[in-house]
Amino acid sequence: MRERLLELQVQALAEIEKVDALEELETWRVGYLGKKGELSGVLRTMGTLSVEERPLVGQIANDVRAELETAYQTREKSLQIAAMRKREAKETIDVTLPGRKSWLGAEHPLHKVIRRIEDIFLGFGFTVEEGPEVELDYYNFEALNLPKDHPARDMQDTFYITEEILMRTHTSPMQARMLAERYPATDIRMIVPGRVYRRDDDDATHSHAFMQVEGLVVGHGVRMSDLKGMLLQFAREMFGEDQEVRLRPSFFPFTEPSAELDIRCIYCGGSGCRTCKQTGFIEILGCGMIHPNVLQMQGYDARELSGFAFGMGVERIAMLMYRVEDIRQFYQNDVRLLEQFATLTR
Amino acid sequence: MKITWNWLLDYVDVSDLTPQEVAQKMTNAGIPVEHMEPFVDGVSGVVVGEVVHVEQHPNADRLRICTVDVGAQAHLTIVCGAHNVAASQRVPVALVGAKLPGMEIGKSKLRGVISEGMICSVSELGIDPYLFPKEQTTGIFVLAQDAPVGEDMNVYLGLNDMVMELELTPNRSDCLSLRGVAYEVAALFGRSVRMPNPQLQTLEVTVRDLSVSIETDLCTAYAGQVVEGLQLGSAPMWMQMRLLAVGMRSINNLVDITNYVMFEWGQPLHAFNYEVIDRQQVIVRQAVTGEQIVTLDGQTRTLTEAMIVIADPSKALGLAGVMGGQNSEVTADTTAVVIESALFDPLQTRRTGKTLQLRSEAGLRFEKGPDPTVISAALARAVELMVHYAGGRIAASPVLLGDAFDHMKYKKVVVGTSRVERLLGFSVSARQMLDVCNRLQFGVEVEADHFVVEVPSRRPDITIEEDMIEEFARLIGYEHIPTTMIEGPLTAGHLTKEQYVRRIITDHLIAQGLQEVVTYSLVSLEELSRIGLEPDHEWPQSIPLLHPLSDDHSVLRTTMLPSLLAVAKMNVSYRRLDLRLFEMGKVYWSKQLPLLEQPDERLMLAGLLLGRKHPEHPYDRARAYDFYDAKGITESILARTGIHAPVVFERAATPYFHGGQSADLSIQGVTCGRVGRVHQAVANAYDLPDCYYFELDVRALVEASTNELYVAEIPRFPGVVRDLALVVKHELAVSALLATVKEVAGEELNAMNVFDIYTGDGIEEGDKSVALRLFFQSLSRTLTDDEMETTINRILTHVKSVHGAVLRE
Ligand SMILES: [Zn+2]
Repeated sequence: MRERLLELQVQALAEIEKVDALEELETWRVGYLGKKGELSGVLRTMGTLSVEERPLVGQIANDVRAELETAYQTREKSLQIAAMRKREAKETIDVTLPGRKSWLGAEHPLHKVIRRIEDIFLGFGFTVEEGPEVELDYYNFEALNLPKDHPARDMQDTFYITEEILMRTHTSPMQARMLAERYPATDIRMIVPGRVYRRDDDDATHSHAFMQVEGLVVGHGVRMSDLKGMLLQFAREMFGEDQEVRLRPSFFPFTEPSAELDIRCIYCGGSGCRTCKQTGFIEILGCGMIHPNVLQMQGYDARELSGFAFGMGVERIAMLMYRVEDIRQFYQNDVRLLEQFATLTR
Repeated sequence: MKITWNWLLDYVDVSDLTPQEVAQKMTNAGIPVEHMEPFVDGVSGVVVGEVVHVEQHPNADRLRICTVDVGAQAHLTIVCGAHNVAASQRVPVALVGAKLPGMEIGKSKLRGVISEGMICSVSELGIDPYLFPKEQTTGIFVLAQDAPVGEDMNVYLGLNDMVMELELTPNRSDCLSLRGVAYEVAALFGRSVRMPNPQLQTLEVTVRDLSVSIETDLCTAYAGQVVEGLQLGSAPMWMQMRLLAVGMRSINNLVDITNYVMFEWGQPLHAFNYEVIDRQQVIVRQAVTGEQIVTLDGQTRTLTEAMIVIADPSKALGLAGVMGGQNSEVTADTTAVVIESALFDPLQTRRTGKTLQLRSEAGLRFEKGPDPTVISAALARAVELMVHYAGGRIAASPVLLGDAFDHMKYKKVVVGTSRVERLLGFSVSARQMLDVCNRLQFGVEVEADHFVVEVPSRRPDITIEEDMIEEFARLIGYEHIPTTMIEGPLTAGHLTKEQYVRRIITDHLIAQGLQEVVTYSLVSLEELSRIGLEPDHEWPQSIPLLHPLSDDHSVLRTTMLPSLLAVAKMNVSYRRLDLRLFEMGKVYWSKQLPLLEQPDERLMLAGLLLGRKHPEHPYDRARAYDFYDAKGITESILARTGIHAPVVFERAATPYFHGGQSADLSIQGVTCGRVGRVHQAVANAYDLPDCYYFELDVRALVEASTNELYVAEIPRFPGVVRDLALVVKHELAVSALLATVKEVAGEELNAMNVFDIYTGDGIEEGDKSVALRLFFQSLSRTLTDDEMETTINRILTHVKSVHGAVLRE
């Protein structure tokens, strides 16, 4: 009987070597290891053995069963792997084909610039205020120390709607509006982004509508050096760590002293190029200390409080940053230009 | 304002510096030199010559052979083609080897005759002929008879000069004269100013009477003097050239002299014909409304009462400060003139100039208010030049009227010593301040804690302490201002809720693949009819500008649709056929027209979809956008904005939308937007294919947006899903069916989706099958089959009784 068992083992192991499909393997299992299989058949005749022989043959039978089961599992595993390989071969695709794309949206460059400016000044503790584009003559001019017939009104040719209502020519009316609204404030730090309008013919550098960001700081003992310090920080955040700024005297009716702020040319780094007209600097904004008349007109004591204001053209900054040559492109909305901003991280 | 370097050097000696050095410092001090170029570049070897003899060229009708004396031993033979060449003329002669802009002169043979040089025209010398009298620019340039033969033309004409163009800010009208610029340059470099010092001459015996009376407050000073014996002709060449360099046309000696003095002193002058003055009386008065005058340009002007005229007892002779009258114009036979140097009200001069659309160099200066202390000096200078260069004789003592002569010679401005540091942020010593005052040639009294600065009338821009502080900073140099940070309370920067929500919406749409655009708010009235709005539509009327520059930008938009359609049209014309555009921008709704108050500026979120929903892929069929894409985006915006209140979409009839694909949406009864398929006629008007549009009122969204800061509990018990296919009438709105289901579904109904709409086989004509997937969930227990059975039966009974809906077999 022992011989019979060992024969069976040799035979089964020889057969399993030839099995190469999972269905055949199942037949093999049923044939040898199943309830009605060969092994069970042999064991069923155990009754004919003597009492002494039974444990010995039983031990052999168990060994054979274990051996066959291990062989079965090994074979099953390798057949499974082979089957999967086969399926994968069938499912192989061209991985070099492009992936399924989604449309990539982008923020408009002008709004991108405004958002960046907002974020910088939010970091300085500013609020972001907005005001009407259809403005009263009073706020646009008179409250900014520009009485009717003031020659400086020539600087800004205006779209009027009625005698007293106009399209604001700058974001500065919000200076007067916020001073009035927050009266008697002792601490104002705000910026005002928004659209403004000038009666200008559109060309590569002029637009009848454009955007500005105004800034206003009011407090006790605010100095012109604070203006320079803050705008230097701004310039570094906006245009690079190593930026330097330069103030040049200028004139605005609502600031005194007034200045233009230049940054080091972002194209040539200061060595001189066509953009900076070989000066190494480019003008980015106008600024100054709030004119005492502006404070006084809203009821403030200009001896008690002081402050500074600045205003920058968003298109100008966007043109410099993104090297756009024609201001009209921002309003034409050619998607061949705009979609490029989807992949610009700044 | 243009000046020339050599002209400036007449009044302030900075000849040890280069024009570039001076320009740089002026620019840094707030008088930007915008542009600087040589007056004439590249002329050499051209001298004054005299034409001795002219004869016809034997082989060419149009050429002449000239014998020319250029001061050398031998006369030159020059072939000349100009029609105006004649013997005894003084002319510019380019010698052999001379350089002219763009050419070099060599010996040449013209039709068999050797030419030893060239007689030049104005433009050949590189001078802009536009500003020259016509007779001098056709043919060769005929010089004055006293031009020194042999002299280098660069010297004679002053061509070796730099023209500097100043970009003046409106406050620095003092630099509208060489005198003002000289004071500025002197202050910058610590030099002194040397202006001519002309004196008015009185006459013991009056040859020609003149009386002047001022009958209006709008003229504060008037100085005049009669000069006779004048010979009208050309001004000296150097004067013509200087005027030319600064952009003034040369007219004749008398006009050129008044212009020259205006540039020198900043005081506009006017010379008019003495002979036409009735009764030798000049009256400065306001015009009578309706009064007419023919001005120098030949135009008849109808005047209003506010305008100032120079008149005699019977007629107006000129518009004060704006333009002279034709009747008193200086002409070839004029021999006696009145030279007028006066001050007129700046505002009125400006208004008159604006009303009559007359802008001139004189008007520009009157508007700004010239220095009242130079009125007599300017008059004296003009008289002096007319005597010298036009053969004039003084015919009467000057007439001086008005109180502006000595009045306001200077203004006192008090500057607190400590205030300078408090405003600028750095300390300025008393010595520095004194130094600045000295350089500016301002008088100053130094007190213990303040300065009293005497600001002369030539600097009308300085009136208050801060103006003077700017002068200190300007002359010490803005580069000395340090950088500091604001002191005071620390504040946290923050966006408002609306600003924050707007950023969320923008970011959301960009992440959805939409492209943001920015379009103009000023549009054409025509746009509204293009989108099918009749002129008398009941929507808010567009607000028109009073004086638009073009029809394209003449009214404020009331809807964003035309703006986006125009952008789409432009891009489609470049074959960009898949577009997903959005803009957050304002529309402007008037309450009444004409406006009595500011309009309602509404921020709108508008989107336009056209073309394919996704980019192409080899394994995908690209689907075109449809109504539900536009609606889906609006729904996602509402969700992203934190709007939990129910949003109702209702069929609407919007004129620019497809009649069957248009919805208004509202939140708790407040209409806050619309979505629809753009009407075919509208799309056609913009050459566009099918497109879908949405417009949402951002303020309404922000108001409906909640600020919930907590999350809901995650259920611990399993939920139950039940699908129902209900057959209903085709026209039944699915939203109504869903609402009905909801009424009886109980609070365990957590979500309900429509996953299929079916018509066709098995469904009767006029019906549709709506497949719903209901998800039930309880937070407190596991829902039993019995419970669900009851709920579903309740729903089926209810939808049957309300809509006649039956369960699909
Ligand atoms: Zn550069």
